[in-house]
Amino acid sequence: MDLQSGYYEDSDTLLLALRQRDPAAFAYLFEQYSDKTYRLAASLLKDEVAAEGVVQDTFLRLIERLDQFEGRANLGTWLYRIAYNLSVDRLRKRKPELELEDEPGDGRLPLPVHLVEWQQWPEKLLSDGEVTRALDEAIAALPEKFRIVFVLREVEGLSTQETAEITNLSLSATKVRLHRARLFLREQLTQSLLAIGAE
Amino acid sequence: MKCEELLQYLSDYIDQELDDALTTEAQEHLATCHNCRVVLDSTQQTIFLFREQGKRSIPAQSRSRLFDQLQDAFLTSKTS
Repeated sequence: MDLQSGYYEDSDTLLLALRQRDPAAFAYLFEQYSDKTYRLAASLLKDEVAAEGVVQDTFLRLIERLDQFEGRANLGTWLYRIAYNLSVDRLRKRKPELELEDEPGDGRLPLPVHLVEWQQWPEKLLSDGEVTRALDEAIAALPEKFRIVFVLREVEGLSTQETAEITNLSLSATKVRLHRARLFLREQLTQSLLAIGAE
Repeated sequence: MKCEELLQYLSDYIDQELDDALTTEAQEHLATCHNCRVVLDSTQQTIFLFREQGKRSIPAQSRSRLFDQLQDAFLTSKTS
């Protein structure tokens, strides 16, 4: 099967082919979702080796439950959900105090502190090693419950609805977390750019 | 619209999810408030940077090993 043909883009066709153990269907699924589930796990765990373990366990679980999958959810959303749950399980072992629920203070928005225009175009900033390090540090400093929503929405390009389904949040909680994540990262980055003189 | 309200609605404004009346109010506020304009622009730039930089992949060697292992597991698993 030619993987470029789009043959497996239809979820029902892909699921049927997977159930028939079509190797090309599996190759297509791996191509489509291995990096996505890796990025989700790496963003939560901040550990590339552990993230590879999550990808492995995610696909193994899919293989194990392939025949029980009812097809109500999108196959991709299902895979993301498995990867999310496995990542959270690993994270809780490492960090039992992990807080993913809403807290009373979540509704308050911090006021912006750094009100400085960025002088350089973002494309130019990306070629600066100090800036890419600042991006890594900023997202690592973001609490997990905001980080995961930001990664799914902005990096993976999922909708609010899909992000809510994967993280088991309401739509409004998903939107609030995305908003707070954006403001937090803006603040952190502006501060870092000022410090390294690249703003 | 005041600065606090603009801040509250900022993500909805960026995602074009505000209704027409609030969009107009936000635009009118942004036209006259330099600080809110700075927050809007730098938030959009922040989003752009993370979208561009965040696309990392599994290292090639690990990826190939993972694929081989998983495809074996897939092909030897039971069919319904």
